[in-house]
This record gives sequence, C-alpha cells and structure tokens, in this order.
Amino acid sequence: MNRGMILKAVREIWLTTLLFGLALLIVEAVLAYALPTFLDEFATQFLQLQFFQTILRALLGTDVGNVIGPETFQSIAWVHPAVLTIVWAHGVIGCTRVPAGEIDRGTIDVLFGLPVSRWGLYLGETSVWLGSGVLVIAMGIAGNRIGGALVRAEGPDLARLLVVAANLYCLFLAVGGVAWLVSAVSDHRGRAIATVFGIVLASFLLSFLAQFWEPAQSISFLSVLDYYHPIFILQGTSWGLGDMVVLVVFASVLWFVGGLLFARRDICTV
Amino acid sequence: MSADRAVRDTKDAMSTIETQGMTLRYGQRVGVEGLDLDVPEGVLFGFLGPNGSGKTTAIRVLLGFLRPSEGAARIFGMDCWRQSHRIKAEVGYLPGDLRLYPWLTGAEAIRIFGRVRRRDLQEPGRRLADQFRLDLTVKVRKMSRGMRQKLGLILALAHKPKLLVLDEPSASLDPLMQDELYQCLRQLAADGHTVFFSSHTLSEVDQLCDRVAILRDGRLVADEPLETLRRRAGRAVSIRFKRGRPMPESPPEFLEVRERLDGQWRGVLTGTVPKLLQWIGGQAIEDLAIGQPDLESLFREFYRNGGPEA
Repeated sequence: MNRGMILKAVREIWLTTLLFGLALLIVEAVLAYALPTFLDEFATQFLQLQFFQTILRALLGTDVGNVIGPETFQSIAWVHPAVLTIVWAHGVIGCTRVPAGEIDRGTIDVLFGLPVSRWGLYLGETSVWLGSGVLVIAMGIAGNRIGGALVRAEGPDLARLLVVAANLYCLFLAVGGVAWLVSAVSDHRGRAIATVFGIVLASFLLSFLAQFWEPAQSISFLSVLDYYHPIFILQGTSWGLGDMVVLVVFASVLWFVGGLLFARRDICTV
Repeated sequence: MSADRAVRDTKDAMSTIETQGMTLRYGQRVGVEGLDLDVPEGVLFGFLGPNGSGKTTAIRVLLGFLRPSEGAARIFGMDCWRQSHRIKAEVGYLPGDLRLYPWLTGAEAIRIFGRVRRRDLQEPGRRLADQFRLDLTVKVRKMSRGMRQKLGLILALAHKPKLLVLDEPSASLDPLMQDELYQCLRQLAADGHTVFFSSHTLSEVDQLCDRVAILRDGRLVADEPLETLRRRAGRAVSIRFKRGRPMPESPPEFLEVRERLDGQWRGVLTGTVPKLLQWIGGQAIEDLAIGQPDLESLFREFYRNGGPEA
C-alpha cells in the first residue's frame, strides 16, 4: 500500500471521523444515562401500550415480554436509530469518496496521474476507512461507559459490550460493502450516497416490518439488520458469531466486486 | 530548437509514446479513431486540434483512464492500460481542467505527492514555486485559477519526469508565466525529457514545439516536424514593379497572386524562396517583401478541411 495515498486519505477524513465519533460518543452517553432512568420510571406504563411493544420488538429483533431488564436498556443504546444512522452515515460517506467523489469533483485526474494502481488506491482508501470505523465505534463504547458511570447503572460486562461493538462494526462493514460497490460504478457522489441510503433504509424497513408483517418475515434474511441482535449477546444467549461471519462475507464479496469493477471501468470526467 | 534536431530526434531516438490504430468509441460516438502516433524521446511534441477534436480523450487513453476499444498504446514500451501505474512513475501530468483538493496548501500537496512518488520533492517544489512565483502556504480553496494552474505545473514538474503530458497548460497563465513555462519546457527537452503538449493555441505550439500532430474529429490529419510544416505553409509576398517598365503577364506557378494593384502584386508564396528570387532576377522590380511562413493559415486549413488543398 502506498503511504502517500494513506496520508492523503487520512488528511481528508480525519475531521469527519472525529465529528462522527463525537456524535456517537454523545448519543451513546445520553442513551446509557437516560434510558435506565427513564424506563425505570415509565417502562411499566409504556409496556401496556401495544405500539411501544411493537417498536421495541422491531428495534431489538425479539419480544422482550412484559419486563424490561438491564440488558434491554443496554441493547436499546446499540440499536437506537440515531446510533445506526451515525455509523451508517460515516460508512457511506467514507466509501463513496473513491471513485465516485473523486470523479464528481474532478480530482480523479490528478489522482490518476500518480503512480498508484487502481487496486492500490482502492486498498489504501479501504484501510483508512476500516481504521476510521474502529475509531468511531470505540468512541461509541467510551460514550456508553461514560453515560453508564454517570447514572451509576451497572453496565454490561465489558467482554460482551466489545462483542456488541464488533457486531456493530460488521454491520458497518456490510453497509460499507454496498457503498463501495455503488461508488465503483458511479460518477456522482450524491447519487451514490442516495442509492446506498435507499438500500439501507429499505433494509431497515424490511427488518422492522418483519416483526409484525408475515410476508416480510420470509425475506427478512435479506436485511443486514437481521444479522445484528445486541440483546442476544448482552443476555448471554449468543455471541453472534454466525451473524458476524455473514456480515463480513457479504461485505467482502461486495467490496471485491466493487474493486473489480473499479479496476476495469473507464474513468471520464468530461 | 532547430529543424535538424527535430529530424534527428524523429529518426534516431527511441519512442516515448507509441500508438497503433488507437481507437476509442463512446457507444456510437468516436473519441479517437485509428490514431498512429510516434513521439520520440527528448522532443517537444505539439498535439493540436480544435475543441472536441479528441485531444483530451487521447491523453486519457495514454494515461490509463480509458481503455482503447481497438489498437494499442504504449509509453516507454509499456502498455498504457495494464501497466499504467508503472508508467506514471516517470510521467508528470497536468490535466486540462485542473481540480485540486481544496483543503491542500501548496506545501502539503508537494509533501503528499512526494510521499506517493516515494521521492523528496520539497526542494525542487520550492525552487519551482520561486520560479513561478507561487506562495505555497495558501490553501487551494483560496487560490485563483492561475495560482492553481501554477501549483498543478509544479506538481507535474517537481519529480523531473521523463515524459511530461500537459493538456492546455497555459490557459490560465499570464504572459510572463507563460514565458517562464516555455523556458522550463525547453530546458526539460534539452535535458532529454519528452514533452507532450496539447493545445489549440497555434502561436504557442509554433514558438515551442519541434514536432506537431494535428487531430480533427478524432483522426490524425498531420504528424510532422514543425519545420516541414513551415515549409508547407505559404509566405505572404508583396512585389512592387518599376514604373514605366513592362510587368509580367502572369505569375509563376509557385506564386499565388491574390491582389493586383497599380504596379504591385500581393499574394502567397507556395514554393521556395530561392525559386522566387531566381524568378525575380529576371523582372524589373522596385521592392520585394517576403513574410514569415503563415502557419496559422495552414493550421486553420487542417482544422477546417483536414489539410491544405493540394
């Protein structure tokens, strides 16, 4: 891998990574702080509402019954739409920079004037993106621990929390895989981002609908969220390894196909 | 650069760029078709053509942005598509529509490009910045178009490439900077580097290049040393005959008279100067004026009709 290319990629995304990381840190801290307090007081009343139960089931991917335990609070903090949006947005923004973003702003001309192969460029950008994902999720873990410490709630076992984070990272990879592939065949970054968000949103809705609509259940395996269940990990019923393998394989295949297409396509900015 | 050098280079030097039947089509539309180019080492090669003639497309194929639909393209003997990244280690490229990363300063750009090329470009970069009078601390987003162009040139030149590919480089430069650029390019060529200079400005190619290829509608209509083209280009001629002496009834075949005034002919010399002087020797003339070869008209003829009418 070319160090200069990595330096360029780092220089370009450090600020957005920091901002997304801070956003996730704050959201996780707020959720870890507020959820136990809020749900302790109101959970019983809320659980009487059918709508609330449906939402909870859709978010967690399982029926929690009439009792909300600490694992449920902790799980909500990792499946909350705000958390998923931050992680996905960071992934999508990172993965659509090359080639779609470079073609869109015309800088690909300068980039392709340099002695780096297309695969070299793709690998360099990917490695920086992988690192930035680790940083953002690590800041999320830090936020979760800070929020938990403030409310003095008994946090989840660190080992299990790290497995949840690993599962979230695999989800980040899967969304990134889609984004790399779409970006590889796009000339316009805006369109690439819109396409990926459309796919991700459809995936989210499918997973949501599958909780209470039978036809959606039969195809819910197509949704990446079908492979992300922090509650099972935090409850100790599963380590989620199978889910993580599926997400990583899915991400790798899409990333590789994206790389092949990028390496073979014509690049034209005029 | 003398005609001798151009001819010598053409005959003896190894090819830096070589294309054979290079064709690129965008669906039904032709980008370039059947392009046969041979750019020898160490020449200033002008690549001329009107807007939309396929110059930039040809450059993009040479630099591995586009895969030729047919034919072959090689630089330093390597395939332009498959070995593109290896070729670019010794190539400097300035795109026609230069866009740089807005967050970069000139100094950062030189540092990062140096890292990518695995060479220390700080010193040559600073020297070039002095030569082109560019402040390297300014961010690209705050640079004028001319400043960005200068930075692009510095980044293309700093590693002293064996081949420099410039796509309309002087577009945003003021005349002083253009002179500076031409001087720099002449020096590079004198040191054995090859310069591939794409332009639609005839005058700069005329004063700079050894050899010229002219593209029209994606096809090559001329590829000759500039000196040969100069010989083909007509010269403006004005002859004033002595009053009271008989004037010739018709001009010789190598003189195209376009205007006949009282005792005076104005026209274009299509043959050689010695021939004209020989013919003049037998005439009673008072004054004779022979202008420079009119390359501009010749190029326009190539642009319009693909070449001068024989």
